[in-house]
Amino acid sequence: MSDAALLSLAQARAVPPRELQQACRARIAQWQPRINAFIALEENPAMGVPLAHKDMFYRAGRVSGCGSKILRERVASETSAALERLDAVGFADLGRLNMSEFAYGPTGHNEHFGDCRNPWNPDYITGGSSSGSAAAVAARLVFGALGSDTGGSVRLPASACGITGLKTTWGRVSRHGAMPLSHSLDTIGPLARSAEDCAVLLQAIAGFDPRDPLSSREPVQDYSESIQTKTSIRVAISTRWIERNAHPEVAAAVLAAAKALDRNPVEVEAPDFDALSAHCLVVMQAEASAQHSRWMRERPGDYSPAVRARLEAGYAIPATVYLEVLRARAAWLERFCAQILGGADLYLLPTIAIPLPTREQTGPRGGAEMPRLLAEVTRLTRWVNYLGVPALALPCGFDSRGLPVSLQLVGRPFAEAKLLAAGQVYQRATDWHRRVPV
Amino acid sequence: MVEAMLEAQGIALAPGRAERLARGLEGLLQASAADPLRTTLEFHADPPGFVLALDKCK
Repeated sequence: MSDAALLSLAQARAVPPRELQQACRARIAQWQPRINAFIALEENPAMGVPLAHKDMFYRAGRVSGCGSKILRERVASETSAALERLDAVGFADLGRLNMSEFAYGPTGHNEHFGDCRNPWNPDYITGGSSSGSAAAVAARLVFGALGSDTGGSVRLPASACGITGLKTTWGRVSRHGAMPLSHSLDTIGPLARSAEDCAVLLQAIAGFDPRDPLSSREPVQDYSESIQTKTSIRVAISTRWIERNAHPEVAAAVLAAAKALDRNPVEVEAPDFDALSAHCLVVMQAEASAQHSRWMRERPGDYSPAVRARLEAGYAIPATVYLEVLRARAAWLERFCAQILGGADLYLLPTIAIPLPTREQTGPRGGAEMPRLLAEVTRLTRWVNYLGVPALALPCGFDSRGLPVSLQLVGRPFAEAKLLAAGQVYQRATDWHRRVPV
Repeated sequence: MVEAMLEAQGIALAPGRAERLARGLEGLLQASAADPLRTTLEFHADPPGFVLALDKCK
Protein backbone atom coordinates (compact mmCIF):
# COMPACT_ATOMS: atom_id res chain seq x y z
CA MET A 1 0.00 0.00 0.00
CA SER A 2 1.16 3.53 -0.72
CA ASP A 3 1.50 5.81 2.28
CA ALA A 4 -2.01 6.15 3.76
CA ALA A 5 -1.19 9.68 4.83
CA LEU A 6 -1.09 10.72 1.18
CA LEU A 7 -4.25 9.01 -0.06
CA SER A 8 -7.53 10.69 -0.94
CA LEU A 9 -10.80 9.16 0.21
CA ALA A 10 -11.47 7.81 -3.27
CA GLN A 11 -8.01 6.23 -3.41
CA ALA A 12 -8.42 4.79 0.08
CA ARG A 13 -11.58 2.97 -0.96
CA ALA A 14 -9.44 0.82 -3.25
CA VAL A 15 -7.16 -0.31 -0.40
CA PRO A 16 -8.05 -3.31 1.81
CA PRO A 17 -9.77 -1.78 4.88
CA ARG A 18 -7.69 -3.80 7.33
CA GLU A 19 -4.50 -2.26 5.96
CA LEU A 20 -6.02 1.22 6.19
CA GLN A 21 -7.06 0.67 9.78
CA GLN A 22 -3.59 -0.58 10.70
CA ALA A 23 -1.98 2.42 9.06
CA CYS A 24 -4.33 4.87 10.81
CA ARG A 25 -3.93 3.21 14.20
CA ALA A 26 -0.16 3.32 13.83
CA ARG A 27 -0.33 7.05 13.15
CA ILE A 28 -2.69 7.56 16.08
CA ALA A 29 -0.23 5.80 18.40
CA GLN A 30 2.50 8.08 17.11
CA TRP A 31 0.56 11.38 17.19
CA GLN A 32 -1.95 11.15 20.03
CA PRO A 33 0.56 11.94 22.82
CA ARG A 34 1.57 15.06 20.94
CA ILE A 35 -1.80 16.48 19.86
CA ASN A 36 -4.48 14.87 22.10
CA ALA A 37 -6.97 14.63 19.24
CA PHE A 38 -8.86 11.60 20.53
CA ILE A 39 -10.95 11.45 23.69
CA ALA A 40 -11.55 7.72 23.16
CA LEU A 41 -10.15 5.34 20.58
CA GLU A 42 -12.46 2.41 20.03
CA GLU A 43 -12.26 -1.07 18.62
CA ASN A 44 -14.61 -1.15 15.67
CA PRO A 45 -15.27 -4.40 13.89
CA ALA A 46 -16.71 -2.51 10.90
CA MET A 47 -14.32 -2.46 8.00
CA GLY A 48 -14.26 0.61 5.83
CA VAL A 49 -12.32 3.79 5.30
CA PRO A 50 -11.48 5.05 8.81
CA LEU A 51 -13.12 8.21 10.09
CA ALA A 52 -13.62 9.53 13.62
CA HIS A 53 -15.98 12.21 14.90
CA LYS A 54 -16.36 15.08 17.31
CA ASP A 55 -17.59 13.75 20.64
CA MET A 56 -21.08 15.20 20.20
CA PHE A 57 -22.48 12.77 17.65
CA TYR A 58 -24.38 10.19 19.66
CA ARG A 59 -24.03 6.45 19.05
CA ALA A 60 -26.45 4.14 20.85
CA GLY A 61 -24.80 2.30 23.73
CA ARG A 62 -21.68 4.49 23.66
CA VAL A 63 -20.63 7.43 25.78
CA SER A 64 -20.91 10.81 24.00
CA GLY A 65 -19.55 13.30 26.47
CA CYS A 66 -19.65 16.51 24.39
CA GLY A 67 -16.23 17.45 25.77
CA SER A 68 -17.80 18.08 29.16
CA LYS A 69 -17.56 16.97 32.76
CA ILE A 70 -21.35 17.00 33.02
CA LEU A 71 -21.92 14.40 30.28
CA ARG A 72 -18.64 12.51 30.43
CA GLU A 73 -20.34 9.29 31.60
CA ARG A 74 -23.58 9.66 29.62
CA VAL A 75 -24.36 6.72 27.38
CA ALA A 76 -26.41 7.65 24.32
CA SER A 77 -29.68 5.88 23.68
CA GLU A 78 -29.75 6.56 19.95
CA THR A 79 -27.39 7.07 17.04
CA SER A 80 -27.15 10.42 15.28
CA ALA A 81 -28.54 10.67 11.77
CA ALA A 82 -25.15 11.73 10.39
CA LEU A 83 -23.36 8.70 11.89
CA GLU A 84 -26.12 6.36 10.70
CA ARG A 85 -25.69 7.65 7.17
CA LEU A 86 -21.90 7.30 7.23
CA ASP A 87 -22.25 3.77 8.62
CA ALA A 88 -24.70 2.94 5.85
CA VAL A 89 -22.22 3.76 3.11
CA GLY A 90 -19.44 1.74 4.73
CA PHE A 91 -17.19 4.11 6.67
CA ALA A 92 -15.56 2.87 9.87
CA ASP A 93 -15.69 4.97 13.05
CA LEU A 94 -12.43 4.78 15.03
CA GLY A 95 -13.61 6.80 18.01
CA ARG A 96 -14.53 10.05 19.69
CA LEU A 97 -12.57 13.21 19.02
CA ASN A 98 -11.68 16.03 21.36
CA MET A 99 -13.70 19.24 21.21
CA SER A 100 -14.34 22.44 23.10
CA GLU A 101 -16.62 21.85 26.09
CA PHE A 102 -20.21 21.69 24.77
CA ALA A 103 -18.86 23.10 21.45
CA TYR A 104 -18.81 26.51 23.12
CA GLY A 105 -15.31 27.85 22.48
CA PRO A 106 -13.33 28.90 19.38
CA THR A 107 -9.80 27.79 20.35
CA GLY A 108 -9.69 24.07 21.20
CA HIS A 109 -8.97 24.46 24.90
CA ASN A 110 -10.58 21.83 27.11
CA GLU A 111 -9.86 21.68 30.80
CA HIS A 112 -11.72 18.39 31.32
CA PHE A 113 -9.95 16.30 28.68
CA GLY A 114 -6.86 18.39 28.02
CA ASP A 115 -6.33 20.89 25.22
CA CYS A 116 -6.21 19.63 21.68
CA ARG A 117 -2.90 20.77 20.15
CA ASN A 118 -2.07 21.93 16.66
CA PRO A 119 -0.18 19.28 14.64
CA TRP A 120 1.88 21.99 12.93
CA ASN A 121 3.08 23.34 16.26
CA PRO A 122 1.57 22.18 19.57
CA ASP A 123 2.09 25.59 21.20
CA TYR A 124 -0.60 27.06 18.95
CA ILE A 125 -4.37 26.68 19.06
CA THR A 126 -6.14 24.16 16.86
CA GLY A 127 -9.17 26.40 16.63
CA GLY A 128 -12.49 25.14 17.90
CA SER A 129 -14.84 23.82 18.63
CA SER A 130 -14.21 20.85 16.31
CA SER A 131 -10.60 20.80 17.46
CA GLY A 132 -9.99 17.05 17.49
CA SER A 133 -11.66 16.63 14.11
CA ALA A 134 -9.28 19.08 12.44
CA ALA A 135 -6.16 17.94 14.28
CA ALA A 136 -6.86 14.26 13.52
CA VAL A 137 -7.43 14.92 9.82
CA ALA A 138 -4.41 17.24 9.55
CA ALA A 139 -2.10 14.66 11.15
CA ARG A 140 -3.62 12.03 8.82
CA LEU A 141 -4.90 9.90 11.71
CA VAL A 142 -8.19 9.44 9.82
CA PHE A 143 -9.51 10.28 6.35
CA GLY A 144 -12.23 12.64 7.51
CA ALA A 145 -14.34 13.68 10.46
CA LEU A 146 -17.64 15.28 11.31
CA GLY A 147 -17.75 18.63 13.04
CA SER A 148 -20.42 21.16 13.90
CA ASP A 149 -20.40 24.86 13.06
CA THR A 150 -22.48 27.37 15.05
CA GLY A 151 -20.14 30.37 14.82
CA GLY A 152 -17.13 28.94 12.95
CA SER A 153 -16.50 25.62 14.66
CA VAL A 154 -15.74 23.71 11.44
CA ARG A 155 -13.94 26.51 9.61
CA LEU A 156 -11.76 27.84 12.43
CA PRO A 157 -10.08 24.51 13.20
CA ALA A 158 -9.88 23.66 9.50
CA SER A 159 -8.06 26.96 9.02
CA ALA A 160 -5.71 26.60 11.98
CA CYS A 161 -4.81 23.00 11.12
CA GLY A 162 -4.46 23.45 7.34
CA ILE A 163 -7.26 21.22 6.12
CA THR A 164 -10.55 21.63 4.25
CA GLY A 165 -13.80 22.11 6.18
CA LEU A 166 -17.33 22.78 5.01
CA LYS A 167 -19.93 24.72 6.96
CA THR A 168 -23.18 23.59 5.38
CA THR A 169 -26.34 25.59 4.73
CA TRP A 170 -28.56 25.72 7.83
CA GLY A 171 -30.87 22.69 7.47
CA ARG A 172 -28.79 20.85 4.85
CA VAL A 173 -27.69 18.08 7.27
CA SER A 174 -29.92 16.56 9.94
CA ARG A 175 -28.97 17.41 13.49
CA HIS A 176 -30.92 14.53 14.95
CA GLY A 177 -28.79 12.83 17.60
CA ALA A 178 -26.18 15.59 17.68
CA MET A 179 -25.64 17.84 20.69
CA PRO A 180 -27.58 21.10 20.34
CA LEU A 181 -25.97 24.46 21.06
CA SER A 182 -28.06 27.08 19.22
CA HIS A 183 -30.86 25.71 17.05
CA SER A 184 -31.07 28.77 14.79
CA LEU A 185 -27.37 28.54 13.92
CA ASP A 186 -26.19 24.93 14.38
CA THR A 187 -24.96 23.10 11.30
CA ILE A 188 -23.07 19.86 10.76
CA GLY A 189 -20.31 19.50 8.20
CA PRO A 190 -17.28 17.47 7.14
CA LEU A 191 -13.59 18.16 7.73
CA ALA A 192 -11.31 16.33 5.30
CA ARG A 193 -8.07 16.36 3.33
CA SER A 194 -9.56 18.14 0.30
CA ALA A 195 -12.72 19.62 -1.19
CA GLU A 196 -13.12 16.41 -3.15
CA ASP A 197 -13.13 14.38 0.08
CA CYS A 198 -15.58 16.81 1.70
CA ALA A 199 -17.89 16.20 -1.29
CA VAL A 200 -17.83 12.45 -0.65
CA LEU A 201 -18.69 12.91 3.02
CA LEU A 202 -21.36 15.54 2.39
CA GLN A 203 -23.00 13.22 -0.15
CA ALA A 204 -23.44 10.66 2.58
CA ILE A 205 -24.88 12.94 5.26
CA ALA A 206 -26.96 15.57 3.41
CA GLY A 207 -30.72 15.49 3.06
CA PHE A 208 -34.07 15.78 4.76
CA ASP A 209 -34.68 13.83 7.95
CA PRO A 210 -38.15 13.77 9.52
CA ARG A 211 -36.51 13.47 12.94
CA ASP A 212 -35.02 16.96 12.53
CA PRO A 213 -37.94 19.30 11.84
CA LEU A 214 -35.52 22.05 10.80
CA SER A 215 -33.83 19.92 8.12
CA SER A 216 -34.50 21.05 4.56
CA ARG A 217 -36.41 19.25 1.81
CA GLU A 218 -34.17 20.89 -0.82
CA PRO A 219 -33.00 18.07 -3.15
CA VAL A 220 -29.44 16.85 -2.60
CA GLN A 221 -27.13 17.39 -5.55
CA ASP A 222 -24.52 14.91 -6.75
CA TYR A 223 -21.56 16.71 -5.17
CA SER A 224 -18.86 14.35 -6.38
CA GLU A 225 -20.06 14.61 -9.96
CA SER A 226 -20.52 18.38 -9.88
CA ILE A 227 -16.96 18.97 -8.71
CA GLN A 228 -15.63 16.97 -11.64
CA THR A 229 -17.54 19.13 -14.13
CA LYS A 230 -15.45 21.89 -15.64
CA THR A 231 -16.88 25.14 -14.45
CA SER A 232 -15.94 28.79 -14.41
CA ILE A 233 -15.95 30.49 -11.02
CA ARG A 234 -17.06 34.08 -10.61
CA VAL A 235 -15.57 35.54 -7.44
CA ALA A 236 -16.67 38.59 -5.45
CA ILE A 237 -14.07 40.08 -3.13
CA SER A 238 -13.40 43.15 -0.98
CA THR A 239 -9.69 43.61 -1.67
CA ARG A 240 -9.32 46.91 0.18
CA TRP A 241 -10.96 45.52 3.30
CA ILE A 242 -8.58 42.54 3.25
CA GLU A 243 -5.53 44.74 2.68
CA ARG A 244 -6.52 47.04 5.54
CA ASN A 245 -7.70 44.47 8.07
CA ALA A 246 -5.87 41.21 7.50
CA HIS A 247 -2.27 40.55 8.52
CA PRO A 248 -0.01 41.15 5.48
CA GLU A 249 0.96 37.46 5.21
CA VAL A 250 -2.70 36.41 5.35
CA ALA A 251 -3.75 39.10 2.87
CA ALA A 252 -1.03 38.11 0.40
CA ALA A 253 -1.97 34.42 0.47
CA VAL A 254 -5.71 35.06 0.21
CA LEU A 255 -5.42 37.63 -2.61
CA ALA A 256 -3.15 35.29 -4.56
CA ALA A 257 -5.73 32.52 -4.14
CA ALA A 258 -8.47 34.83 -5.41
CA LYS A 259 -6.47 35.50 -8.57
CA ALA A 260 -5.95 31.77 -9.05
CA LEU A 261 -9.72 31.25 -9.03
CA ASP A 262 -10.78 34.29 -11.03
CA ARG A 263 -8.40 36.65 -12.84
CA ASN A 264 -10.93 39.47 -12.70
CA PRO A 265 -12.92 39.14 -9.50
CA VAL A 266 -15.80 41.52 -8.83
CA GLU A 267 -14.87 44.17 -6.25
CA VAL A 268 -17.64 44.71 -3.72
CA GLU A 269 -18.14 46.57 -0.45
CA ALA A 270 -17.42 44.28 2.49
CA PRO A 271 -20.43 43.10 4.49
CA ASP A 272 -20.77 44.67 7.93
CA PHE A 273 -18.92 41.76 9.59
CA ASP A 274 -19.04 43.31 13.05
CA ALA A 275 -22.78 44.02 13.16
CA LEU A 276 -23.57 40.59 11.73
CA SER A 277 -21.18 38.91 14.18
CA ALA A 278 -22.89 40.72 17.03
CA HIS A 279 -26.27 39.48 15.76
CA CYS A 280 -24.89 35.94 15.62
CA LEU A 281 -23.59 36.24 19.16
CA VAL A 282 -26.92 37.55 20.46
CA VAL A 283 -28.73 34.53 18.99
CA MET A 284 -26.05 32.04 20.03
CA GLN A 285 -25.80 33.26 23.61
CA ALA A 286 -29.55 33.46 24.18
CA GLU A 287 -30.21 30.00 22.73
CA ALA A 288 -27.19 28.27 24.28
CA SER A 289 -28.00 29.65 27.73
CA ALA A 290 -31.61 28.53 27.45
CA GLN A 291 -30.38 25.07 26.41
CA HIS A 292 -28.15 24.86 29.48
CA SER A 293 -30.55 26.39 32.01
CA ARG A 294 -31.05 23.28 34.13
CA TRP A 295 -27.36 22.54 34.62
CA MET A 296 -26.52 26.22 35.06
CA ARG A 297 -29.00 26.26 37.97
CA GLU A 298 -28.10 22.90 39.47
CA ARG A 299 -24.38 22.45 38.86
CA PRO A 300 -22.69 25.61 37.51
CA GLY A 301 -19.41 24.57 39.12
CA ASP A 302 -19.13 21.63 36.73
CA TYR A 303 -18.53 23.93 33.77
CA SER A 304 -15.07 25.35 33.09
CA PRO A 305 -14.91 29.04 34.09
CA ALA A 306 -14.71 30.15 30.44
CA VAL A 307 -17.81 28.23 29.34
CA ARG A 308 -19.71 29.21 32.46
CA ALA A 309 -18.93 32.86 31.75
CA ARG A 310 -20.18 32.56 28.15
CA LEU A 311 -23.37 30.91 29.36
CA GLU A 312 -23.95 33.52 32.08
CA ALA A 313 -23.94 36.22 29.42
CA GLY A 314 -26.93 34.71 27.60
CA TYR A 315 -29.27 35.20 30.55
CA ALA A 316 -28.84 38.96 30.35
CA ILE A 317 -29.88 39.32 26.70
CA PRO A 318 -33.33 40.91 26.43
CA ALA A 319 -35.87 38.73 24.62
CA THR A 320 -36.87 41.65 22.43
CA VAL A 321 -33.29 42.09 21.19
CA TYR A 322 -32.99 38.37 20.46
CA LEU A 323 -36.22 38.39 18.45
CA GLU A 324 -35.46 41.64 16.66
CA VAL A 325 -32.14 40.21 15.51
CA LEU A 326 -33.94 37.13 14.19
CA ARG A 327 -36.52 39.35 12.46
CA ALA A 328 -33.69 41.06 10.55
CA ARG A 329 -32.12 37.80 9.41
CA ALA A 330 -34.09 37.33 6.18
CA ALA A 331 -33.46 40.92 5.08
CA TRP A 332 -29.74 40.53 5.70
CA LEU A 333 -29.59 37.29 3.74
CA GLU A 334 -31.39 38.88 0.80
CA ARG A 335 -29.05 41.89 0.94
CA PHE A 336 -25.97 39.65 0.99
CA CYS A 337 -27.13 37.64 -2.00
CA ALA A 338 -28.21 40.68 -4.02
CA GLN A 339 -25.54 43.24 -3.16
CA ILE A 340 -22.44 41.26 -2.17
CA LEU A 341 -22.77 38.16 -4.31
CA GLY A 342 -24.71 39.85 -7.10
CA GLY A 343 -23.77 37.97 -10.25
CA ALA A 344 -20.85 36.15 -8.61
CA ASP A 345 -20.82 32.54 -7.45
CA LEU A 346 -19.07 33.12 -4.17
CA TYR A 347 -17.61 35.72 -1.85
CA LEU A 348 -13.94 35.17 -1.00
CA LEU A 349 -12.19 36.26 2.20
CA PRO A 350 -9.76 34.93 4.82
CA THR A 351 -11.04 32.45 7.39
CA ILE A 352 -8.88 33.93 10.16
CA ALA A 353 -7.39 37.33 9.36
CA ILE A 354 -4.74 37.49 12.11
CA PRO A 355 -1.69 35.36 12.86
CA LEU A 356 -2.80 32.28 14.78
CA PRO A 357 -2.48 32.89 18.56
CA THR A 358 -0.85 30.47 20.96
CA ARG A 359 -2.74 28.30 23.44
CA GLU A 360 -1.27 30.33 26.26
CA GLN A 361 -2.41 33.66 24.82
CA THR A 362 -6.01 32.44 24.58
CA GLY A 363 -6.19 30.06 27.56
CA PRO A 364 -7.14 30.45 31.23
CA ARG A 365 -4.04 32.59 31.86
CA GLY A 366 -4.44 34.57 28.68
CA GLY A 367 -4.40 38.04 30.19
CA ALA A 368 -5.86 41.34 29.06
CA GLU A 369 -5.32 40.71 25.34
CA MET A 370 -7.41 37.55 25.28
CA PRO A 371 -10.90 39.02 24.60
CA ARG A 372 -9.56 41.01 21.66
CA LEU A 373 -7.73 37.97 20.26
CA LEU A 374 -10.81 35.75 20.53
CA ALA A 375 -12.93 38.42 18.82
CA GLU A 376 -10.36 38.67 16.00
CA VAL A 377 -10.20 34.89 15.55
CA THR A 378 -13.99 34.64 15.09
CA ARG A 379 -14.52 37.95 13.29
CA LEU A 380 -14.90 36.46 9.80
CA THR A 381 -16.87 33.30 10.57
CA ARG A 382 -19.85 34.20 12.77
CA TRP A 383 -21.54 36.45 10.22
CA VAL A 384 -21.88 33.43 7.90
CA ASN A 385 -23.84 31.49 10.54
CA TYR A 386 -26.19 34.43 11.03
CA LEU A 387 -26.92 34.40 7.28
CA GLY A 388 -27.30 30.59 7.29
CA VAL A 389 -25.31 30.20 4.07
CA PRO A 390 -22.60 27.60 3.27
CA ALA A 391 -18.87 28.32 3.45
CA LEU A 392 -15.78 26.31 2.61
CA ALA A 393 -12.47 26.87 4.41
CA LEU A 394 -9.36 25.58 2.67
CA PRO A 395 -5.61 26.08 3.03
CA CYS A 396 -3.96 28.69 0.80
CA GLY A 397 -0.45 28.98 2.22
CA PHE A 398 1.72 29.05 5.31
CA ASP A 399 2.93 32.02 7.32
CA SER A 400 6.53 32.74 8.27
CA ARG A 401 6.10 30.64 11.44
CA GLY A 402 5.12 27.60 9.38
CA LEU A 403 1.43 27.78 10.36
CA PRO A 404 -1.39 27.37 7.83
CA VAL A 405 -3.28 30.27 6.27
CA SER A 406 -6.83 29.67 5.08
CA LEU A 407 -9.20 30.97 2.48
CA GLN A 408 -12.98 31.09 2.99
CA LEU A 409 -15.50 30.79 0.15
CA VAL A 410 -19.06 31.82 1.01
CA GLY A 411 -21.98 30.97 -1.26
CA ARG A 412 -25.73 31.18 -1.67
CA PRO A 413 -28.04 28.91 0.33
CA PHE A 414 -27.64 25.27 -0.79
CA ALA A 415 -24.72 26.16 -3.11
CA GLU A 416 -22.41 23.59 -1.51
CA ALA A 417 -21.73 22.02 -4.94
CA LYS A 418 -20.46 25.33 -6.30
CA LEU A 419 -18.19 25.92 -3.30
CA LEU A 420 -16.78 22.41 -3.47
CA ALA A 421 -16.22 22.81 -7.23
CA ALA A 422 -14.33 26.05 -6.61
CA GLY A 423 -12.30 24.33 -3.91
CA GLN A 424 -11.51 21.50 -6.28
CA VAL A 425 -10.42 23.93 -9.02
CA TYR A 426 -8.10 25.67 -6.55
CA GLN A 427 -6.71 22.43 -5.11
CA ARG A 428 -5.99 21.08 -8.59
CA ALA A 429 -3.81 24.12 -9.18
CA THR A 430 -2.07 24.17 -5.76
CA ASP A 431 -0.64 21.70 -3.28
CA TRP A 432 -1.23 23.40 0.10
CA HIS A 433 -3.82 20.76 1.02
CA ARG A 434 -1.32 17.96 0.39
CA ARG A 435 1.19 19.18 2.96
CA VAL A 436 1.40 16.96 6.01
CA PRO A 437 2.85 17.95 9.40
CA VAL A 438 5.88 15.95 10.50
CA MET B 1 -28.79 45.03 37.65
CA VAL B 2 -27.28 42.11 35.73
CA GLU B 3 -26.95 40.13 38.94
CA ALA B 4 -30.64 40.67 39.72
CA MET B 5 -31.65 39.68 36.21
CA LEU B 6 -29.77 36.39 36.49
CA GLU B 7 -30.91 35.77 40.03
CA ALA B 8 -34.53 36.07 38.91
CA GLN B 9 -33.81 33.20 36.50
CA GLY B 10 -32.18 31.06 39.19
CA ILE B 11 -28.65 31.58 37.83
CA ALA B 12 -25.84 32.31 40.29
CA LEU B 13 -23.10 34.46 38.81
CA ALA B 14 -19.54 33.30 39.42
CA PRO B 15 -17.79 35.59 41.95
CA GLY B 16 -16.50 38.83 40.46
CA ARG B 17 -18.28 38.37 37.16
CA ALA B 18 -21.03 40.99 37.32
CA GLU B 19 -19.04 44.01 36.19
CA ARG B 20 -17.29 42.22 33.35
CA LEU B 21 -20.52 40.65 32.15
CA ALA B 22 -22.29 44.02 32.16
CA ARG B 23 -19.43 45.58 30.15
CA GLY B 24 -19.44 42.77 27.61
CA LEU B 25 -23.20 42.86 27.27
CA GLU B 26 -23.23 46.60 26.73
CA GLY B 27 -20.66 46.26 23.94
CA LEU B 28 -22.56 43.42 22.29
CA LEU B 29 -25.94 45.14 22.39
CA GLN B 30 -24.44 48.39 21.08
CA ALA B 31 -22.78 46.58 18.18
CA SER B 32 -26.02 44.82 17.35
CA ALA B 33 -28.10 47.99 17.68
CA ALA B 34 -25.71 49.83 15.34
CA ASP B 35 -27.07 47.80 12.44
CA PRO B 36 -29.00 50.32 10.30
CA LEU B 37 -31.10 47.59 8.73
CA ARG B 38 -32.72 46.73 12.05
CA THR B 39 -34.32 50.14 12.24
CA THR B 40 -35.85 49.90 8.77
CA LEU B 41 -37.50 46.50 9.09
CA GLU B 42 -41.00 46.18 7.73
CA PHE B 43 -43.77 45.64 10.26
CA HIS B 44 -44.49 42.17 8.86
CA ALA B 45 -40.91 40.88 9.10
CA ASP B 46 -40.78 37.95 11.51
CA PRO B 47 -38.18 35.27 12.40
CA PRO B 48 -39.77 32.42 10.37
CA GLY B 49 -39.40 34.58 7.26
CA PHE B 50 -35.78 33.47 7.22
CA VAL B 51 -36.77 29.97 6.03
CA LEU B 52 -38.53 31.48 3.02
CA ALA B 53 -35.55 33.72 2.34
CA LEU B 54 -33.22 30.69 2.22
CA ASP B 55 -35.38 29.25 -0.53
CA LYS B 56 -35.74 32.54 -2.36
CA CYS B 57 -32.00 33.26 -2.38
CA LYS B 58 -30.71 29.85 -3.45
